[in-house]
Amino acid sequence: MSSASPMISVQNLWKVFGNNPEKVIGSADANLSRTDLRAKTGNTIAVRDVSFDVAPGEVFVVMGLSGSGKSTLVRCMTRLIEPTQGQLQFEGEDILKVDDKRLRELRKTRFSMVFQHFGLLPHRKVIDNIAYSLEINGIKKDARHARANEVIELVGLQGYANAYPEQLSGGMQQRVGLARALAVDPEVLFLDEPFSALDPLIRRDMQQEVIRLHHELGKTMVFITHDLSEAVKVGDRIAIMRDGAIVQIGTPQDLVANPADDYVANFVRDIAKSHVLTLKHIARKAEPGDATDGPELAASTIIRDAAQVILQSHKPVRVNDNGNALGIVSSEDVLRLISGGA
Amino acid sequence: MKVRKSYLLLASVAVWILLGRLLNGVHTLQIATYENTSFTKYVGEKALDLRGNRTESPAFIYFFNPIRGAIDGFVQAIRNLIAVPAPNSLIPIIGWLGVVAIVAFAVYATSQWRTALLSVSLLVACGALGMWQFTMDSIAMTLAAVLLSLAIGIPLGIWAGLSDRVLKIFTPFLDLAQILPTLVYMAPIALVFMIGAASATIATMIYSIPIAIRITSHAIRNLNQAPVEAAESMGSTQRQKLSKVQIPMAKQMIVLGINQTVMAAVSFVVIAALIGAPGLGKPVIEALIIRNVGQGFVAGFAVVFLAILLDRSTSAAAKRQDSFIPATEKQIKTKRITLIVAGILAVVSVFMSRTMLWAAVWPKEVTIAPQVAKITNSATAWILENLTIFTVGFKDLISYSILNPLETQLAASPWYVTVGMIVALAIIIGGTRTAILAFVLSMAIVVSGLWYEAMLTLTQTIVGCLLTMIIGLALGIWTGRSDRAEKVLRPFLDAGQTLPAFVYLVPMLGLFGPTRFTAIATGIVYSIPVVVKIVSEGIRAVPHALVEAATAAGSNARQIITKVQLPAAKKTILLATNQGLIYVLAVVVIGGFVGAGGLGYLVIAGNSKPELQGKGLIAGVAILLLGVIFDRIMQAGARRSS
Repeated sequence: MSSASPMISVQNLWKVFGNNPEKVIGSADANLSRTDLRAKTGNTIAVRDVSFDVAPGEVFVVMGLSGSGKSTLVRCMTRLIEPTQGQLQFEGEDILKVDDKRLRELRKTRFSMVFQHFGLLPHRKVIDNIAYSLEINGIKKDARHARANEVIELVGLQGYANAYPEQLSGGMQQRVGLARALAVDPEVLFLDEPFSALDPLIRRDMQQEVIRLHHELGKTMVFITHDLSEAVKVGDRIAIMRDGAIVQIGTPQDLVANPADDYVANFVRDIAKSHVLTLKHIARKAEPGDATDGPELAASTIIRDAAQVILQSHKPVRVNDNGNALGIVSSEDVLRLISGGA
Repeated sequence: MKVRKSYLLLASVAVWILLGRLLNGVHTLQIATYENTSFTKYVGEKALDLRGNRTESPAFIYFFNPIRGAIDGFVQAIRNLIAVPAPNSLIPIIGWLGVVAIVAFAVYATSQWRTALLSVSLLVACGALGMWQFTMDSIAMTLAAVLLSLAIGIPLGIWAGLSDRVLKIFTPFLDLAQILPTLVYMAPIALVFMIGAASATIATMIYSIPIAIRITSHAIRNLNQAPVEAAESMGSTQRQKLSKVQIPMAKQMIVLGINQTVMAAVSFVVIAALIGAPGLGKPVIEALIIRNVGQGFVAGFAVVFLAILLDRSTSAAAKRQDSFIPATEKQIKTKRITLIVAGILAVVSVFMSRTMLWAAVWPKEVTIAPQVAKITNSATAWILENLTIFTVGFKDLISYSILNPLETQLAASPWYVTVGMIVALAIIIGGTRTAILAFVLSMAIVVSGLWYEAMLTLTQTIVGCLLTMIIGLALGIWTGRSDRAEKVLRPFLDAGQTLPAFVYLVPMLGLFGPTRFTAIATGIVYSIPVVVKIVSEGIRAVPHALVEAATAAGSNARQIITKVQLPAAKKTILLATNQGLIYVLAVVVIGGFVGAGGLGYLVIAGNSKPELQGKGLIAGVAILLLGVIFDRIMQAGARRSS
């Protein structure tokens, strides 16, 4: 398998709840609004014709408001909920075709999941929670505890191995959730709103933790969230969902610079552009009167990080994209962007 | 719509009363107690045939008799252990001291030393009442029934907890079991399994298995689903999910279910004596038959003590599981040491109870039974002498104001007039389908030939339910509105719910003598706790914002109750009425023992008098039909009001 091929490939995936779900797909009913469809056939379309690829090592974020179908989508990807129609491949293997035994094998070894409400077993110590998947893999107690202790260190839970979940704070519990997911050394982590139930401060710590783990371990991640700033912070690419369908897929910069429609634009409005966009997005041609001997910066520098240099310089900075001069950025350009102008 | 409904009800009641007056004494279907219709005679003969077939029919030889044998053997083994002399011996395997020590140890191991002390005191009190062997028999019977019920109920409950389809199949049976008056199925069981311990155990199991199933499936279904889903996402098989996640998480609730199952079995301790259960039921029923209130109190106290003992010891075990966090190392160590000491003491006591006579057989000299009997007898006599104004006055007031007029209306009217009334009630409250069901079931009672007796029972049930609701609503509103009232009444309500109905018959018999009023009063006392609990929960469930809004609008307490809380809790109150009616019915028929007549008397007489056997069996069915008619009407009413 070449490194260019996707880790996960989702093609035209549908999930329709209610009786006779297949009948809805492809019929005129599929275009009805949610309330109208439910009134007419009793069905609800949770995932609507969704397609995307996730590259190895990528953090792919699915972002949407509650009810947009993102949690159903992630459950369809691990078949905790059976999709109604579509294709789903994991390293080229058709996941929707595998039998229960193979599916369990995949769940035990290849992908793991982290849940919004942690899903820890209240009657087990932290270490035995983390070792659960190893236990059902048939690994002996000493071996699985040794491995569990490794992961405990990895997520910073030293000293809590013998605590019970209800003795831990929410943030600590989710560290256990992360550790449990990492214990089997899976290829893909599915994180379903992992930090939504946490306090804002703890949430920020945990986001940093995920970024750190991603740097250290390089796992592919599918990350579900309803919080765009979280999506921008952790995601390589973001898919925005609305009413079961994907509205736009792109890097944070794409979404902020070129929102596909008003819905996405509305979302990204609250994001500080200077935190996401790079100099490339605001570089302009030098006009007569602009000094062209200012300091030089790379085009991929995030504006926020460049701001100090630009504002302190008396001359506009020159933007350099791998040797090509893209143009210049002046203090006024930066201030206009930060103050909300385009 | 609402107004029209109540007018319709009033109008149909008026027509019913009018027709009843006009046609008084006509077509009442009354027959003498010992008179048989061709149908009751036929059923009686069939029952006799069945009895004769016990040694011949393959159904008996290969199915019923082996079951009976196995259960009898199981019960006998437990009885030999603690209650009756073991084979080739003069004493049970474990004598009284040993039993006390084992109970103390077991309760201490599963809960606190205080509960253990309470359990020991209660056991010793039973002994001092001269009821040691009866108590041990009752414990043996309860233990046998509970073990078998759990062995069947917990697996079925887990199954129903995992599968929607299984639950759907079970639900009608579980619902039926809840409204089935216990007296109803004793006779058929005794017919198949003979009078004896096996029949009593099976009857108890029929009552307690549904409770075990219900609570277990509820426990599995209401788990926090997040860990279950997580386990699934990690590739657990169904079995791993069940054994490593669902059952450990549901354990606490299932232990609570064990407590409820035990209490269900305890509520059978007395009534099961009617079909030959050894134990405390015997002296209670004997006392009721010879109307010896003092003796009834002695045995009744032992039943109460036993109920408290079994409730406290099992519910304490459930409470201890509150948290999944075990004790600290040090606590574990301390407990282990004390447990070892207690265990050694228990073993020594058991050994002593096997070797020394004083520790094996409860010493006859240690008894307070005569004193208790004397005190309660003289207390009863004093009440009858000095408080007659209250007891007889109350009895007469109720009798002349509602009981007699209602009995005339129900029992002395033509059957078709009352059937018409029942159907009208069903149409107005429940709708056409309920009405059709009510009509069919009422006609079944008419055809059975026991219409008149059914009307007597119905009269007592309605009056009992009416009084229960008046008292229950008042107390329920009070406890629903005041935390202090709740705190004060709660222990009484809990205790009231754990006692077998028969126990209440004893004091009521002392107060009101052998009359139908005794049955009604017992029914009221028995059903008030459950009604109060349901009403108070309903009142508490009314959103606080509603009450606040009404208060802010300047309503006084009475206005808040009548205009906000009661209307908002209407559905719950209907359900409470239904529950009250079912409870009163179940007890009123037991009152057949103390002169209440009606269907209950026929069931009980049918047990002992061969010529009444057919009538007794049919009377049991008629009780069930009455219960189902009113249950369906009320449930339909509750559904419509939501």
